[in-house]
Amino acid sequence: MRRLQNVLLFSFLLLPFLSKAQDCTLSISGNVADESTGIPMAYGTIYVEELQTGVASDSLGNFSLSKLCQGDYHLRFNHIGCETRSVFISLQKDTVISINMHHHNELIDEVEIHDHHSEHETAASTSINKEDIAEIANKDLSEMLESMTGVSSIKSGAGVSKPVVHGLSGNRVTILNNGLAQSGQQWGNDHAPEIDPYVADHISVVKGAGALAYPGGSLGGVVLIEPDEIPNDPHLHGSINYIFQTNGLGNTLNARLEKYDKWAAWRVSATAKVIGDRSAPNYYLTNTGKREYNVAAQIEKHFSPKWEMKLYYSLFNTEIAILRGSHIGNLTDLEDAIERDVPFFTDDQFSYAINEPRQTVQHHLLKLESNHIFNEHQSLSLKYGGQVNNRKEFDVRRADRSDLPALSLLQWDHYLEGMYKHFFDHGRQLKTGIQLRLTDNTNNPETGILPLIPDYRAYRLGAFAIFQEEHKKLLYELGARYDLNYFQVLTISQSLPREIERRYHTFHNYSLSSGIRYKVLPQLKLNLNLGHVLRSPEVNELYSAGLHQGVSGIEEGNRNLKNEQSTKIVLSADWNVKKKLFMQLLGYYQYVSNFIYLQPEDEFRLTIRGAFPLFTYQQTDATIAGLDALVSYEPIESIRFIAKYSFLQGDDVSNNQPLVYMPSNNLFGSFAYSFKDGDRIKNSSISVNGQYVFEQTHLNANQDIAPAPNGYFLLGASIGTTFKLKKTKLRCSISGDNLLNTVYRDYLNRQRYFADDLSWNVNVRLNLSF
Amino acid sequence: MKNIKHILWALPLLSILFFTSCEKDDPEVPNEEELITTVTYTLTPQGGGSIVQFEFRDLDGDGGSAPVITTGTLAANTTYVGVMSLLNESGSETEDITVEVAEEAAEHQLFYTLNSFGFDGNITYADADINGNPIGLLTNFTVGAPSTASLTITLRHEPDKSATGVSDGDITNAGGETDIQVTFEVTVQ
Repeated sequence: MRRLQNVLLFSFLLLPFLSKAQDCTLSISGNVADESTGIPMAYGTIYVEELQTGVASDSLGNFSLSKLCQGDYHLRFNHIGCETRSVFISLQKDTVISINMHHHNELIDEVEIHDHHSEHETAASTSINKEDIAEIANKDLSEMLESMTGVSSIKSGAGVSKPVVHGLSGNRVTILNNGLAQSGQQWGNDHAPEIDPYVADHISVVKGAGALAYPGGSLGGVVLIEPDEIPNDPHLHGSINYIFQTNGLGNTLNARLEKYDKWAAWRVSATAKVIGDRSAPNYYLTNTGKREYNVAAQIEKHFSPKWEMKLYYSLFNTEIAILRGSHIGNLTDLEDAIERDVPFFTDDQFSYAINEPRQTVQHHLLKLESNHIFNEHQSLSLKYGGQVNNRKEFDVRRADRSDLPALSLLQWDHYLEGMYKHFFDHGRQLKTGIQLRLTDNTNNPETGILPLIPDYRAYRLGAFAIFQEEHKKLLYELGARYDLNYFQVLTISQSLPREIERRYHTFHNYSLSSGIRYKVLPQLKLNLNLGHVLRSPEVNELYSAGLHQGVSGIEEGNRNLKNEQSTKIVLSADWNVKKKLFMQLLGYYQYVSNFIYLQPEDEFRLTIRGAFPLFTYQQTDATIAGLDALVSYEPIESIRFIAKYSFLQGDDVSNNQPLVYMPSNNLFGSFAYSFKDGDRIKNSSISVNGQYVFEQTHLNANQDIAPAPNGYFLLGASIGTTFKLKKTKLRCSISGDNLLNTVYRDYLNRQRYFADDLSWNVNVRLNLSF
Repeated sequence: MKNIKHILWALPLLSILFFTSCEKDDPEVPNEEELITTVTYTLTPQGGGSIVQFEFRDLDGDGGSAPVITTGTLAANTTYVGVMSLLNESGSETEDITVEVAEEAAEHQLFYTLNSFGFDGNITYADADINGNPIGLLTNFTVGAPSTASLTITLRHEPDKSATGVSDGDITNAGGETDIQVTFEVTVQ
């Protein structure tokens, strides 16, 4: 929609001004405004790549660049909380343009991955989001999110991580890949989201309960992975990224090209990642390598100023090795493994080999979108999304069966959405939509093992309406959503003879949310968000049956589960003191009745491999309360201190005990020094950071098979610079993780039962962009 | 613009199609050829006498019906020859898993652990793999005076047979994964 408006603006607002096209007396001036409300945006930055200088918009959103020569210019518009806009101008005469910034807060309570670049960010800043992502894209998606307060990762070793938002993860966190809810085996803690971070230009997390426009019962939050629109620039642009990491001798390579051609705008991206065995400070973590090969293509076509279509396809392809020493047969094996200092099967040689246990996943995602603008008030967007997820997990098995997967699931997902937006006068906006989703999950019987989760089909129908109004200092939002979920489940009986049973479930969910943002002072902003969300139990919670390898427990679903009902309140304050000090405080409280969790039963299940603890899915009432704090201080322009703190406490109030697998509290601090830009050398900086993760003490001793690990401190540092030659930029950076080589284990990493976490690591990164 | 109105009308129609589509096909029941349902430890006394069998049988695998455990009584002051048999009886045809273990003898070892300080008796290996390490499919079980113990039989896949004590039947340093772990009460009269 942005692009359309942009085209409109370019058609109508590129007004010629009085000028006698003499050399270097031309100007570009204009106004920056919020796309959805039309309100001028003050203190945005406008950077001209060709001149390597920039200006800021004034308090009314106006800006002007003068003494320009005839020629081609690439302009970049930045504003806090907005997507960076790139605009290409072939300047012939004085030009006035109007820029609509896509404000990232369709949802009031959004916090971006780069947390905050304060409003006085230097004009030379480029697309910070994309650069930050590229800087650390050898990490998993979820690990990248960890830099945000209130977000952590639940991991199964070095290569598998899932985001945890305010203590909740898995089925309770919806991951939107390009506007589509990522559809894979999201229920598994050892199933990482199948997304290549390089395709994203923005990664953000919605922490509140206001994400009603998106499907899925996102009690915890929503993670948004968004590529930018392709800038309307007729030149070919692209980048090549290479990262080498010492731990695991990993190589990550990405290439990306984009162009606004006459026939259509297009962008392609390809990534290859090869990482070998990682190491802990004292030994190799044998069999922890990974391979990843991803491609993505994006085509955008503007048929008319009022109609555009977008096509997006991505393929994610990975093979991940799981620590050999973490594969165990029964509870005795697990206890033996916990007792050991060095895990079983530790090799003293590094290797790139991927052996069993391992996972392979292919994920295809196709999106077709058609956007229509009827007039300046009304617009309609239609979307189809198709996803195919093919997951195979291989275990160490007898008689050459290791080549046969122990788990093999094929999932299809079709999604249809129609969304209508109405912009009223006076900053009022209504957004409403209907969504249909069909998920088909099939076990491949090649495994020779009774499936852990059954075959099923899920039909989901959702409808929502969100109303927003901005009035002077106040912005408020009201939203409602209804979901109908219908499951058709085909189970295979546990007893002989094996029989197939068909079960049907229907769930009705409704969600309500409201939010207020109030600018008390220009420097002080308050947000309040209140949401009531229902989530229906997923098929794994209803029907899991079998051994969960990682925890050596037998998990049994519960067919009688009811909807979870969550009420969450989030209050945040952003305070900017004289543009030197920026503070953000966010407090939240969530009450979930019928909270679904795994209850360890008193009885043990006797099997031929020994006795296993039995876990069943039960419901209780739970509360989660926490605080996220961020302080950023810039005494002078070249120096910045950042401190972050997250506190969280989860309780099972019915059983009067703590909730398990809640993130530890943690404290982060960094110091950065930026050097002055030279003619050829830009964006040079050096930084040091430290993170302290506290021991998870809010836990009873009988709630885990091994005590929670101690708190730990990690030291990191980075140095980077950009060389600029005409339109080509070469960025070089070196960063180090765990530089003190601390021996530690993390509470949320399931590998902690078996092995220490990663040792020191240095990343060397080269990025060439043109 | 009319096209768009048509598209809008199409949405509810699509949704009806969507919700009335046909039932999902029955899943194919996997052929559980790797499953071990039955562990039988047959003890034949040297020099004649009655054969004793210890058996753990769980035909439907994990979950479902509970396993059936059969034990026997050993005669005092006797040496028995122990033969281990592993079967998969879940399907229509019984599969002998013992053969699989014998074929991959170097990657498997059975451990016989007697848990009683006062028990008068011991179990020794009577077979070896190509590396000269024990497998445990064949054993000698020598018992002395009447006493009782619990016997835990463990089959480990990919144990470290060269680790300390492992070739003598001590499971402590063996590692690997447990494929079988069953416990029987042993009475000597």
